[in-house]
Amino acid sequence: MILSGWESIFFWVFAVATLVAGLLTIMARNAVHSALFLISTLVSVAALFILLGAEFIAGVQILVYVGGVMVLFLFVIMLVNVSAEERGREELFNRPAQVGASVLFLLPLALGFIYAFNQSAPQFRPPGSTPDQSAEELVAHQSARRADQERRLPMAATRTSRLSDDTQRVGASLYRYGGLPFEIASVLLLVAIVGSVMLARTAKQEMAADDSEMAASPETTRAEGSSAI
Amino acid sequence: MTDSIMQTTLLAFQRFDPQNIWEGVQHPDLSKFLVIGALLFVIGVAGVLTRRNIIVIFMSIELILNAANLNFIAFSRYLQDSGNMNAVAGQVFTVFIIVVAAAEAAIGLGIVIALYRNKETIFIDKIDLLKW
Repeated sequence: MILSGWESIFFWVFAVATLVAGLLTIMARNAVHSALFLISTLVSVAALFILLGAEFIAGVQILVYVGGVMVLFLFVIMLVNVSAEERGREELFNRPAQVGASVLFLLPLALGFIYAFNQSAPQFRPPGSTPDQSAEELVAHQSARRADQERRLPMAATRTSRLSDDTQRVGASLYRYGGLPFEIASVLLLVAIVGSVMLARTAKQEMAADDSEMAASPETTRAEGSSAI
Repeated sequence: MTDSIMQTTLLAFQRFDPQNIWEGVQHPDLSKFLVIGALLFVIGVAGVLTRRNIIVIFMSIELILNAANLNFIAFSRYLQDSGNMNAVAGQVFTVFIIVVAAAEAAIGLGIVIALYRNKETIFIDKIDLLKW
């Protein structure tokens, strides 16, 4: 896999956007700001998925994460209504000993990482390519092969590109080889639905369902709020 | 011993000439995606370790899961480009990771709601029920 031209510009834009938005997610003082930055991180990662030819996963990422999970997050932030500021007890970067120790540990780690990465860089070339091929040759070779594979696909309505069959391939693979994990995932989702409903009940609702110990003695229900979960 | 360390270090940094770096910028390959995934993972871990707001900790966990997804998709594309267009195991795995992330968020936020109802706080240094 090797990108070129507009693809690489697309890659760098969204890679930097991912990292900056991810950093702002964990640095924002306000939880709502964190959630919004996390949404931009997820959208940038979805753009990288599209760049990698995984259109179906990108769509799922937008629909499930941004459309479902993040809305859930925002609702919970609204419900618990914490004060916007999360003040630490002390500043993070004002202890020279700790900062020095972490830099001391980080330096060999970073050096080793760079070394390992440089040693293994040739292995990241596409299989079947010789090490002395230049990047341009690799790009030409790869785009020729991809064009060959795409020639079988139907033409899109605009006549400028081909329709992707990524979704078909993922679906076929999922149901052919991942049938059991698929069923397990559906059971997991069922457990999650039931569990979150059970967890979020109020004491009154628990009494109404008649499966709580509090329902047995009416006196204890007056002390609502101070009782345990 | 020191000689061999010096030698390998020099060898490692031989690739750091501007020509090489510019070529890497122009033609990002699998390794760049792996670096982005690793950095996203580190950001998520830093969020989990440093934040006190439990909701933001959950968001950092989502960041970590997304870093794993990015690696899976990158390797999937790498295998596809090596010839077999049906090598989509990474994408299938990513679907399962997204399912688990959604379930985890639903359960976790349910726990947060239950905790807030009982303790009136979501800061993890105030939630010390099991400490004595």
